[in-house]
Amino acid sequence: MVNLTIDDKQVTAPKTATIYEAAKLNGVNIPILCHDKKLKPFGACRMCLVEVEQMKGRQIPACTTPVTEGMIIRTSTPDIIKARKMVLELLLLNHPLDCPVCDKAGDCDLQNLTYEYKVDSNRFADEKFHHQIDYNNPLIERDMNRCVLCGKCARICDEIVGFGALTFINRGIETKIGCEFEEGLNCEFCGSCISVCPVGSLLARPFKFKARFWSLTKQKSVCGYCGTGCNLTLGVKDNKVLTTLYDENQGFHNGQLCVRGRFGYQFINSDQRLTSPLIRTNGRLMECTWEEALTAVASRLTGGNSVAALATPRLTNEELFLFKKMMLDNVGSSNFDHSAGYAHAALTEGFSRSLGASASPATILDVQKTDLLLVVKTDSYETHPVIGFEINMGVKNKGIKLNIISDKRGKLSKLPGANTLVHSPGSEVAVLNAIAKSILDQKLTDGSASSIPGYAELEKALAAFTPEAVAASSGISADSIKKIAKDYASAEKALILFPVGQSYPGHNQEMASAVANLVILTGKIGKEGCGVLCMSEKSNSQGAVDMGFYAQNGGMNSLQILDACKNGTVKTLFIVGENPVVSYPNGANVKAALDAVDFLVVTELFMTDTAAMADVVLPACSFAEKEGTFTSTDRRVQYVKPAIRKDVKCKTDFEILSALITKLGGQAPSSPASVFAEIAANTSGYAGMSYINLQNNGAFAPVNVTPKLVASKAAPAVSAESGKLAMVTGSTLYHSGTLSQFGEGPMHVCPEAYVEMSRNDAARYKITEKDLVTVSSSTGSIKLKAKVTPRMPEGVVYIPYHFSETPVNAIWNGSAVTVVSIAK
Amino acid sequence: MSDAVAQQAAEQEPVIDLSIADAIIDKYIDMSGNLMPVLQAAQDEYGYIPRCVADHIAERLNVYPSQIYGVLTFYAQFHLKPRGKFIIRVCVGTACHVQGAPRIVETFFDKIGIGHAETTPDLRFTFEKVACLGACGMAPLAMVNDSTYGGMTVQKVDDIIADYSKRPLK
Repeated sequence: MVNLTIDDKQVTAPKTATIYEAAKLNGVNIPILCHDKKLKPFGACRMCLVEVEQMKGRQIPACTTPVTEGMIIRTSTPDIIKARKMVLELLLLNHPLDCPVCDKAGDCDLQNLTYEYKVDSNRFADEKFHHQIDYNNPLIERDMNRCVLCGKCARICDEIVGFGALTFINRGIETKIGCEFEEGLNCEFCGSCISVCPVGSLLARPFKFKARFWSLTKQKSVCGYCGTGCNLTLGVKDNKVLTTLYDENQGFHNGQLCVRGRFGYQFINSDQRLTSPLIRTNGRLMECTWEEALTAVASRLTGGNSVAALATPRLTNEELFLFKKMMLDNVGSSNFDHSAGYAHAALTEGFSRSLGASASPATILDVQKTDLLLVVKTDSYETHPVIGFEINMGVKNKGIKLNIISDKRGKLSKLPGANTLVHSPGSEVAVLNAIAKSILDQKLTDGSASSIPGYAELEKALAAFTPEAVAASSGISADSIKKIAKDYASAEKALILFPVGQSYPGHNQEMASAVANLVILTGKIGKEGCGVLCMSEKSNSQGAVDMGFYAQNGGMNSLQILDACKNGTVKTLFIVGENPVVSYPNGANVKAALDAVDFLVVTELFMTDTAAMADVVLPACSFAEKEGTFTSTDRRVQYVKPAIRKDVKCKTDFEILSALITKLGGQAPSSPASVFAEIAANTSGYAGMSYINLQNNGAFAPVNVTPKLVASKAAPAVSAESGKLAMVTGSTLYHSGTLSQFGEGPMHVCPEAYVEMSRNDAARYKITEKDLVTVSSSTGSIKLKAKVTPRMPEGVVYIPYHFSETPVNAIWNGSAVTVVSIAK
Repeated sequence: MSDAVAQQAAEQEPVIDLSIADAIIDKYIDMSGNLMPVLQAAQDEYGYIPRCVADHIAERLNVYPSQIYGVLTFYAQFHLKPRGKFIIRVCVGTACHVQGAPRIVETFFDKIGIGHAETTPDLRFTFEKVACLGACGMAPLAMVNDSTYGGMTVQKVDDIIADYSKRPLK
């Protein structure tokens, strides 16, 4: 700490602080335009000028000058005020004063500072700029006429997002912010640039002319898409969510969001939302009353194990807990599951056998605290973009070594110093085993590793996974495997990340154990910046596991339930929020099962392909309309409260389940809070939590680890015969499950499925970008557009899984790698 | 632009040989701060930086395409359009201005039909006004590539154009 004087007040500040930070810490506000706490100091706008006595009273920028012992700083002398006024006058010289039609008005730093410094006239005069406004994309509007050249957009796009879409173009008075060759913006549309823009140069187009900033009510919430658990501020007016607002102090991510979080909110107020219960009469779904619908459903929830349930892990913990309780106590069935079963197997089977807990021991906060990252699949960026930002910042600012094991390259492999090992599809577990084998061979294990249960068995099982043997099947050289083993084991702190989800069937219990073995063998667990983080797919995937909403004690898992529907063992299927017709493997089989089952109840927000097959459809509520808790992938339990009032004709899943429990003769809970109290009392790690102490930033449920080494079986590598290609599926950046199809933002940017292939394969099949091609496997064929990119290795194609129009499950039966042929 | 026109435009675009760029990149790939030398060498080879070369350099050097464009537009030394074989520069600095540079500029405009920083369609001439060529004693001054023409007159403009129009393009 250093001692200094700010505006005649004796204060202290950390050694590393700048004058701006020291002042802020001590309650002195210095105006800024170009500074953001998340970005590196830049010093472009000269608004933060202060006087430092030791510097002969010169005016120096507070945001770039570090504090020193005994500094005497004055932040608002008459001279300083005069200088700031002049800066504003100069900025307003070119800035159009179109505030009445600017969406930024009310939230505009330039407007606020102009007001604060009473700049009511300008001594200068100049022509305004006449830059063309970039309307080329549906999400972000760029009006360079309003730009003050603070560079925040270009810097955040580089420093945090790592995309680099924007930059300074030209020189001197002609300088502007733009994209390469003056093109329109064509990026991943996370909107980070919008969030930091101090003026109205970058605006969210979906929000244009929707509401004045000051008329919005700000409602804090938690994003309903992936498992990262990002915090959101929803801008609400007239009971409608109109936009997401930026709050730099929100969450571990400082308000940073991805395209889904920022632009995917429209599904909440979509006019496609279901607003009435529907019951199938004479083959058609007809509107009915809640009483009719619930009575019909309750009458079919009898017969014990002939009733089965599938729920989406986007439900709250309270709803999942209640659902499970209803199934066990009131229905008498243990057949319930979520996410196609295998999507959570890494946690429920893999981690629980290897680590003694069905949760990840590391948290997202460890990403920036580690020395070395081992990331399985470059898709990690696409499934969890905000964790991707953390990786990017760690690699660029803290020099974290990044190693990637993946079947394709991606944005992560472009980070400085990234070491990407591209393996043949489906061989990731074998590669992880080979790394473990190499760690043993090179004697790089932690001192206590040999005393951990399972060591001898693992050593024996790994004998087949010599780096040389795996090199042959995986396509990664033995030397690379040995090097990565050495780097990983010798790093003081190392963290492994891998995504799981319905589109990653290979990321199962075997991968989880293979990864856990590396962690345990090298003793990289239980320390800050160490361990493993399994990145779960949906907003409450970890919660669903914690609540135990999966097949246990002889209950059937998702895929078994569907088979049982087909053979008649299951007579009633209760689906809450899942859309298996599109997202589960082998679509034809799912449809046959749903056709065959006697009675299908679907609780949904939208008329999905699954809901369309139901006998009763119940309209439910989104995350913005209910109270409850979500557990993020790193087991942070966060509280959400309704941001808007729900439609009177809809019920939350909590209300639906409560009503059904009453109808089944049970005792319905009084409120989500009472259910959470029960959860806190019965769930390991949740003890002591309550809605009150979760209000701010939530709380981590600790994970207690009992390590055990478990030999994991590697699937045999799949090699496509000549003339065929290996197809892998996955999540694309803009989407999450099938829900994001109802978010206008994601659909504007990525409206349909595509098949991504390498340039060489494209040339071989004479396919060019956007050609309509037919991809066929042994189970069927689909037609989709081609996308030719440099990131795909030869012989491998990639198809994302989210889309109802062209569901990949027409050609995919749930195997990690599918052999396909492709024709134009 | 209709598809047919776009097709035609694409056909007229000269084919760029990226292997030249690859050779340059290979030479500098391991050097830190290699973007400027690569761009300079590429401009020496191609005469300007074609779009596809910029994109190729971005991909190979793992630099954002936007960043390359930022560099290309910041420095006056880089050109984004093909340049003529003969670069005509007319000084419009103070000394040349008072000695009649505006008339010389106008005459060039009239005779070769292109304005400042433009290039004739046959890629013979590129015309540029420059602030000062550092030889005010010879005002008004013009240069064609490395040859200097002092005491310019309207007549001399004709002579220069006639002279360089006769020279072979290849």
